[in-house]
Amino acid sequence: MAGAIIENMSTKKLVIVGVILLLFQAFAFMVGGLIAPSPKIAVHYLATKCVDTAKHRQETKWFMPWGPNQCDKIRSFDEATAKKIEANNIVFAVHIPLPNKQMSPWFQFMLVILQFDIAFKVYNQIEDGAMVTIDVGLAYRDDTVSEWTEMAHSFEQRKLSCNFTTAKTFENEGRYYECDLLPFMEVGSIAHKYYLLNIRLPVNERKKVNVGIGEIKDIRLVGIHQNVGFTKVWFAMKTFLTPSILIIMIWYWRRITLMSRPPVLLEKVIFALGISMTFINIPVEWFSFGFNWTWMPLFGDIRQGIFYSMLLSFWIIFCGEHLMETEFFEAEFMGGGQLQLLCVPIFKIFPECPTKKSQDQMERNRFSVYWKQVGPVIFGSFCLFIFDMYERGVQLTNPFYSIWASDVGTELAMAFIIVAGICACLYFLFLCFMVFQVFRNISGKRSSLPAMSKARHLHYEGLIFRFKFLMLVTLTCAAMTVIFFIISQVNEGHWHWGEHTVQVNSAFFTGIYGMWNLYVFAIMFLYAPSHERYGDEQSSGQCITGDAGANSGEDI
Amino acid sequence: MPTVSTVNLTAPLLLLLWVTHPTMATNWLSLARLPRSRPVSGAAPCARLRGLTPGQVGVCRARGEVMESVRKAAEMVIEECQHQFRNRRWNCSTTPRGINVFGRVMNQGTREAAFVHALSSAAVAVAVTRACTRGELERCGCDRKVRGVSPEGFQWSGCSDNLSYGVAFSQTFVDEPERAKGLSAGRPLMNLHNNEAGRKAILHNMQVECKCHGVSGSCELRTCWKVMPPFRRVGVVLKERFDGATEVRLTRIGSRTALLPRDPQVKPPAARDLVYLAPSPDFCHLDPDNGIPGTAGRRCNGTSRLAPDGCELVCCGPGYRAGRAEVVQRCSCKFSWCCSVRCQQCKNTVTIHTCRV
Repeated sequence: MAGAIIENMSTKKLVIVGVILLLFQAFAFMVGGLIAPSPKIAVHYLATKCVDTAKHRQETKWFMPWGPNQCDKIRSFDEATAKKIEANNIVFAVHIPLPNKQMSPWFQFMLVILQFDIAFKVYNQIEDGAMVTIDVGLAYRDDTVSEWTEMAHSFEQRKLSCNFTTAKTFENEGRYYECDLLPFMEVGSIAHKYYLLNIRLPVNERKKVNVGIGEIKDIRLVGIHQNVGFTKVWFAMKTFLTPSILIIMIWYWRRITLMSRPPVLLEKVIFALGISMTFINIPVEWFSFGFNWTWMPLFGDIRQGIFYSMLLSFWIIFCGEHLMETEFFEAEFMGGGQLQLLCVPIFKIFPECPTKKSQDQMERNRFSVYWKQVGPVIFGSFCLFIFDMYERGVQLTNPFYSIWASDVGTELAMAFIIVAGICACLYFLFLCFMVFQVFRNISGKRSSLPAMSKARHLHYEGLIFRFKFLMLVTLTCAAMTVIFFIISQVNEGHWHWGEHTVQVNSAFFTGIYGMWNLYVFAIMFLYAPSHERYGDEQSSGQCITGDAGANSGEDI
Repeated sequence: MPTVSTVNLTAPLLLLLWVTHPTMATNWLSLARLPRSRPVSGAAPCARLRGLTPGQVGVCRARGEVMESVRKAAEMVIEECQHQFRNRRWNCSTTPRGINVFGRVMNQGTREAAFVHALSSAAVAVAVTRACTRGELERCGCDRKVRGVSPEGFQWSGCSDNLSYGVAFSQTFVDEPERAKGLSAGRPLMNLHNNEAGRKAILHNMQVECKCHGVSGSCELRTCWKVMPPFRRVGVVLKERFDGATEVRLTRIGSRTALLPRDPQVKPPAARDLVYLAPSPDFCHLDPDNGIPGTAGRRCNGTSRLAPDGCELVCCGPGYRAGRAEVVQRCSCKFSWCCSVRCQQCKNTVTIHTCRV
């Protein structure tokens, strides 16, 4: 009997396979929880207030907050008022790794967030809708003595949304506003050792630039990057998983090509799923050590998007291909004395006998039948791709760009996200409906199963079993993903257990990544076409022509 | 015979101890009075700083670069204390000169002394943490980290805990005079408790902020961090604790001594509460021996009876009087986000209320 490997596996073998996969899954969680540190780290920087005494800015001078060539500093703005320094001569300087430390490509990316410390003064309040204009320059160097090289320079605008929680009276002067975080900078790869940021807030009263933004006391930056240890563990996982998935893919495709018939839609979709998983696994990130590829985060997002689309399409095609239509059974009983050519639904998966009826049903084997279900997936992914491309794409040239900075950008971004959300809801509605249809068919079949011939009985049983098995495994994986996601969001990030620290966030990432790899591995292994042959007393049930049951099973 | 001579010797010794003993703890605040140009780090300058105890001079020598932050902390203490107490009878006034910045009023273990101690230990923690965050200090926060040695520690899991360093330095520096005196007397115990309360005021008021930065900006990846509160907020919190401070006394429990509430029905103070040994004096009348300037000559707000700085509340018995004066004030100022302000000068006739003698 032809079918997938899973149908022909004894329960004992299935349990052994399951246990081995569970062991690998537990190992993936433990690698993240016990070996890797927390995935990301946030480092605080407080800007130093330097004074630019040059009358005219002829060349770009870079102001260092500490070290041998430090700038002239002022400790607070009261000192500036006393020394009659203008606001346009103040430069906020931040040196990104703190003293005695270096940045390295292991950090993978750098995300910087800006926070203003603005004090309340009755006669100098923050106006509604105030926008801050920031003149920022970013420079780098690779040792402590050479000159700074400019990497980016931009005039950015950010909207200040601050509120003051106590009463706005003279009594409460000097207290700080509570301001939202402002996205400041995103750099996709760290190719140099030392970075310097010089921030100015130029004031121009005629053009209303930086007017009405309150009294700024300090600028604080928070730099987020990936922990070195986590990057090393992640790279090790990817490097280990790539050959594993490649091997199973090659094995799967050999089994397909060894069959005498062309591969069906479901087999092609499973293979495509394997390809997208391999695409994610390939550790292209190793190249970040030799090359300054700032498009790495964008590339990573695209790879993940392709995999999710492929996975969602696979689910819906799998459901659709396992819909066992009732028309098949009418064909069986119409025949009278002569057995008609019975094309059982198995034909959808393994088309053997082209007949009039089965030709109708073979059309189901085409991808275009699923346009209604796969359409939302493709369209939603496309929207998210455009959105990501827009933000991260522009950031390749200008690291300070943020789509949320302007009103138009915010509305556009929200529009894309909402459309993608609607597509996701549509898809899940379709999926639930299809699953419901399949289960209804299954319960309908169950009553007529004993009346069928043994071969067909076994076929149906096989179909039902493998559909239910995949449902169960998929639901388990999805449930685990959601539960762990919620735990990692709610939790502080690490648990203390005796003298060991378990990093919950890292365990989530490595565990879920390993889980979906094992899922794809299991699907490719268990749903590969089986070459097993049944004994002679059972007819194959695939193509019953005439009176005799033909045995068209193939050799292993 | 020997007993008489020992009695004769111990009395002046005790007097000496009593006079020098309580004021030494906050003398380091006199660093705020030094001219900015005078260095505070290095072996020789450290020894010349009059306000430091010998133990503090040792810390100064060992960790010289941090002393500039300590000077900044002293300035912060004076400014914040005068802001929080601006409407009260004792307004945190400073002496014109000398190493005892707030005067002899700090000698007794009153609520005001408790507040000053808590505020000063919090200020040292905040100032040192800020200096670390600016990169002004060479060794900060990454000396004792997970996975052993510092450079490896940073490389494996990153390091961003400057606040622990600031708090630890505050414990080392500000608590040092109390520990040197031993933990069996009332005042050192009270000072240690209040110093810890000041540091706890920072730790309990940290704010958590988070940023989502996953695929397409989703919350698949979310990083959260804690932000230190602004020093004004710490001042407000400590002022609230000042209002609810517990009066305690030294009690002996077995072989140890502890500070327990004087009123047995009051529950024992928590680590974040302020404690005091002696009730506050009436700050109305001038009392130079105890360092109380009195309220004579204080400005007050005569217009509103319910305002916190109203004359009824600030002035004592003799009341207040009003006077008219012509002042030149700044008006129609153009403010920028910082620094120079361009104002015009306006002449105004205002009514000034001052407390009577």
